[in-house]
Amino acid sequence: MLLAVAVLSGFVMALAAPWLHRIARSTSGWVLALFPVALTVYFAGQAGRVAAGEVLAVSIDWVPSLGIALSFYLDGLSLLFALMISGIGALVVVYAGGYLAGHAHLGRFYAFLLMFLASMLGLVLANNVITLFVFWELTSVSSYLLIGFEHEREAARQAALQALLVTGLGGLALLAGLLLLGQAGGSMELSELLTRGEAIQAHPFYAPILLLILAGAFTKSAQFPFHFWLPSAMEAPTPVSAYLHSATMVKAGIYLLARFNPVLGGTELWFYIVTAAGAATMLIGAYLALQQSDLKRILAYSTMSALGMMVLLLGLGTELAVKAAIVSILVHALYKGALFLVAGAVDHETGTRDVDRLGGLRRAMPITAAAAALAALSMAGLPPLFGFIGKEMVYEAVFEAPTAVVLLTGVVVLSSMFLLAVAGVAGLRPFFGERASTPKHPHEAPLSLWLGPFLLAGLGLFSGLFPGAAGWLVSPAVAATWGQSTGVELALFHGWSPVLLLSAITVAGGLGLFAGRSACRRAASRLAIGSRWGATRWYELALDGINRLARAQTRFLQSGYLRYYLLTIIATMLGLTAYTLLSRAGLPVPQGSLQVPLYQAVLAGLILLAALAAVRLQTRLGAVAALGVVGYGVALIFVLFGAPDLAMTQFLVETLTVILLVLVLYHLPRFATLSTRRERVRDMAVALLAGGLMTALVLAAAAVQPQLEVSSYMADHSAALAHGRNVVNVILVDFRGLDTFGEITVLAVVGIGVYSLLKLRIRKGDRP
Amino acid sequence: MLSEYFSAVDFLLLKPAILLTIFGIGVMLTDLLLDERQKYFNAVTALVGIGFAAVQMLRIQSQMREAGVSEVEAFRGAIVLDGLGIFFIWLFLISTAITILISFRYLEIENEHHGEYYAILLFATVGMIFLAIGMDLITLFVGLELMVLSIYILAGFLRGDRRSNEAAMKYLLLGAFSSGILLYGMSLLYGMSNSTNLRVIGSALSQRPLGDPLVIMAVVTIAAGLFFKIGAVPFHQWLPDVYEGAPHSVAAFMSVGPKVAAFALLLRLFLVPLGELREQWEPLLIGVAVATMTLGNLAAISQSNIKRMLGYSAISHVGYILLGLVAGNETGLKGIVIYLLVYVFMNLGIFTVVVAMRRRDLVGDEINDMAGLMHKSPVMAILSLIFLLSLAGIPPTAGFLGKYFIFLSLLETGHYTLAVIAVLYVAVAIYYYFRIVVVMFMQPPADQELPSMSLGIRCALGVTAAMTLFMGLYPEPFIQLATGPVLAILR
Repeated sequence: MLLAVAVLSGFVMALAAPWLHRIARSTSGWVLALFPVALTVYFAGQAGRVAAGEVLAVSIDWVPSLGIALSFYLDGLSLLFALMISGIGALVVVYAGGYLAGHAHLGRFYAFLLMFLASMLGLVLANNVITLFVFWELTSVSSYLLIGFEHEREAARQAALQALLVTGLGGLALLAGLLLLGQAGGSMELSELLTRGEAIQAHPFYAPILLLILAGAFTKSAQFPFHFWLPSAMEAPTPVSAYLHSATMVKAGIYLLARFNPVLGGTELWFYIVTAAGAATMLIGAYLALQQSDLKRILAYSTMSALGMMVLLLGLGTELAVKAAIVSILVHALYKGALFLVAGAVDHETGTRDVDRLGGLRRAMPITAAAAALAALSMAGLPPLFGFIGKEMVYEAVFEAPTAVVLLTGVVVLSSMFLLAVAGVAGLRPFFGERASTPKHPHEAPLSLWLGPFLLAGLGLFSGLFPGAAGWLVSPAVAATWGQSTGVELALFHGWSPVLLLSAITVAGGLGLFAGRSACRRAASRLAIGSRWGATRWYELALDGINRLARAQTRFLQSGYLRYYLLTIIATMLGLTAYTLLSRAGLPVPQGSLQVPLYQAVLAGLILLAALAAVRLQTRLGAVAALGVVGYGVALIFVLFGAPDLAMTQFLVETLTVILLVLVLYHLPRFATLSTRRERVRDMAVALLAGGLMTALVLAAAAVQPQLEVSSYMADHSAALAHGRNVVNVILVDFRGLDTFGEITVLAVVGIGVYSLLKLRIRKGDRP
Repeated sequence: MLSEYFSAVDFLLLKPAILLTIFGIGVMLTDLLLDERQKYFNAVTALVGIGFAAVQMLRIQSQMREAGVSEVEAFRGAIVLDGLGIFFIWLFLISTAITILISFRYLEIENEHHGEYYAILLFATVGMIFLAIGMDLITLFVGLELMVLSIYILAGFLRGDRRSNEAAMKYLLLGAFSSGILLYGMSLLYGMSNSTNLRVIGSALSQRPLGDPLVIMAVVTIAAGLFFKIGAVPFHQWLPDVYEGAPHSVAAFMSVGPKVAAFALLLRLFLVPLGELREQWEPLLIGVAVATMTLGNLAAISQSNIKRMLGYSAISHVGYILLGLVAGNETGLKGIVIYLLVYVFMNLGIFTVVVAMRRRDLVGDEINDMAGLMHKSPVMAILSLIFLLSLAGIPPTAGFLGKYFIFLSLLETGHYTLAVIAVLYVAVAIYYYFRIVVVMFMQPPADQELPSMSLGIRCALGVTAAMTLFMGLYPEPFIQLATGPVLAILR
């Protein structure tokens, strides 16, 4: 139960955050951080039980009729993520209090941040696939609010929308995949599904399920070719970037892959897609990172690269690879979180994030510099930091890859060289060397700004020196991902092996790249592959295309002219009926011979002539008169077929209509031809077709002989029931007495209306 | 037993409709006694009338429960009150009540605050009620015409506004045309079955040979008439034009009450008399549903007028709801019922925001008029976000629930391609709904004038937002609620 409280209390805290901020004022960051700290302590307290192989689960009925429960469970993998989310969350809340001190909407910012934290916790702890999806979307929405928090610039707005669209699309794919998975696996509970891996892999839905879920994971974790939103999202305030775009949200995709590894992993399809996407992302990210000069964009691309590496490892799916992936998650969260927070502190103190304009800050900001250096060394993968252990494990895993060892090793080593150079650019370059002049005169950042990076970087060093503690945390997570328990031994020194040699080569190559980075950047800008063929371009093209399509079809269909709307309706009707009739039944053939007496034929001819005249006549009065003739003709047909009352009504209505039309026409401007000849021909075609169809239908309808029981009933019963011999009278005052009553009422109301209108008219005449 | 022909039950069932009519006439009479500044009293009268009707509904329901019946017939089967009818009547009462709440401040600003407005709203509601409980072609058609005639007038209620006049005129002409088509189909049904009772027609149709051209014609014409009323592609073209021109509050009303009523009619006709002919209309329905989603979602992208955009978004929602009918199993029908329920609240909610954007010197129906709402009125901005999230179908708002049912029903019935299309269009929807969010949250305000608020608008916003969130967060009671109507359909 506490587990559910731990997740859901975050939303309550988010609601309370603006209010707490108003009370606590400048110390609000510290006060609010107590909440994630409490969460961290709670989760750390569970670590012992989880390490012993226990799984905590709680389930609350949510939508029982759909089999959706608000169920959470905590195993090794969830625990690792939960600890990162709440731990780094606490640091980020403190940091935000310093970074955005005095901001008018800081309270709101805390609210969004805590909402995100809670959503993220829900995501990694969810045991129900729909619950998982709900929290997944909540992270998208709250991250949208966070990215767009500072939004004076158009770029920030576009970036926020871009991130939302890409991850939103992925989220929808994920939903489809999860629904199919639920159908295939026969359960909505993750813990159930995890035991049915074989059945699901044999299911015909396996391929679509896999592709859809991968689409969700890849968009969220910024994998190639969906990676472009991540650098754009750097418009967000730095605490957001540090938290969302390095430590937590972008790892949601990794979490998903790790979580579903026992169910979906291990197949060829999984291996090829996941490994390829990971490798491509890793290489592209590392390469692009070195081309940037904005500190945050450098970090964004290097994050992308690191995520690619994790995806690649999960794609390999061997025991070693899984271990390396899980360790990398922790390694990366520690150093990249620290570097982002450092970047924010540097920006805050100096007023710029351009690495070319930064240098020699170590004297002004010694603590920040120390944290940055530690984090950068870990990122570079140098001993004795945790990053070194991680990289060694990655090399080992790639070495033992099932196929394509050389290719994969090459990719990983090359990317690592780039990342080493990038670590130098991002973590060391601003603090060492010549002192450069900056827009603001730098001072050491306040405690709230250096505490986070310092702690994270320190943890990186600690874990490197004493890997046992980290191993204790990592091994249950590996067990959960791998599907069976396995031991993880972390050590700095693995003995003399080819892996160590690769590390040495990496360091040498990386240093070389660092030295020659400006030449490298120049060469790259001449190639300009990214801007011409990058995914951003595709995204823009797609968006542009959709917009253009939308405008075009709106112009085409939404002309605003009534006549075109009518034309569409008639044409569609025609098309639909003609198609169904022709394809299914053939044209209806009139049964029996048609014998038309002469006077009927004459009448029909008259109606046709009048209709033609109504269309062709150039004066309104003439057209109206012609229409009147049509109406009278129809009334005459009623007379001929024995319905004098109907004919009477028709005569009256026709007369009234003609009079009314004439009265209205009097006020209209002169007749003008509005349509071109082509339009008239088209209209004629449509009209003729519609008329033809109606004719065919009338003929078909005539084939059906309705039993005329209504009239016979009236005739038989009028004397017996109503004691009246005149059937029409009986119908009017008795059988349909209520109808007549209604008609009289309507007439009375109309009379009152006409009377009042007339009075209105007279009064107007009185006052000229 | 009143007589050989009518019983007390007949009139008891009509009591909500009768009460609404009486109050409508009452509004028109008392309006004559009121000063210009007391016109809000008309709104109060109308609300009291809806209250009376609601109480009457509760009494009818409790009597039905006591008697242990789930369905009551009246007027010799011309009217049937079942679970579905009860559900729809409640939706109509709620949407009319909320429309009244958001109307009076708006009409004051427009200087068109007349009593007829509320009277006609009540009359439209009466028409809608007959659409929900009618089981007879004549009853249904008269109810339909009562409803749409009322709306023709309401759409042109701003007599001095050219756009409003144009909207009313277009709607009247096209609406009359489509009613004619519908009536043609109905006459075919009557000709084939000799009855206007839907159930009798249903059994008569099932005896006709397969692929009978007359049956096909009846299906096509009835479908075309209904598609026009609900605003499905390609009979949708009137909708954005009319929404744009009609008064804000009327557009709000049109987007929910009459639309839901048209769906009530569509469900009745497709499931009772045409229920056996599923294979005849399913391909048609699939085509229309996909076209509706495609066009509604795409066209919404390029709009700069928020009422037009919401018009297109309403069209796209129609596509989703039709998909529920395509699936046609229990989940799908539940999906339709829940979707309509959710739709009423979220759509009225966002339209309430639009109504509040109408200020003394600003029409307020351009998307850019919402710029910087987050600075001016954070509460309203956050509530709008909730409505827009829900319209897009993002959890944990109620909109997700409706879409979830539709997706699930499509998967259950094996319509995988349709399910994928439906899911993908949500992404498009996110795009255009969030364009509004961007404007509201991220653009600096163009002016400093606050949204026009009133007690009614506050109430309406509170109720709609609370329901939109609550149904998303705790959907179980509402799913249970939907079971009754669905059982009524499936029987």
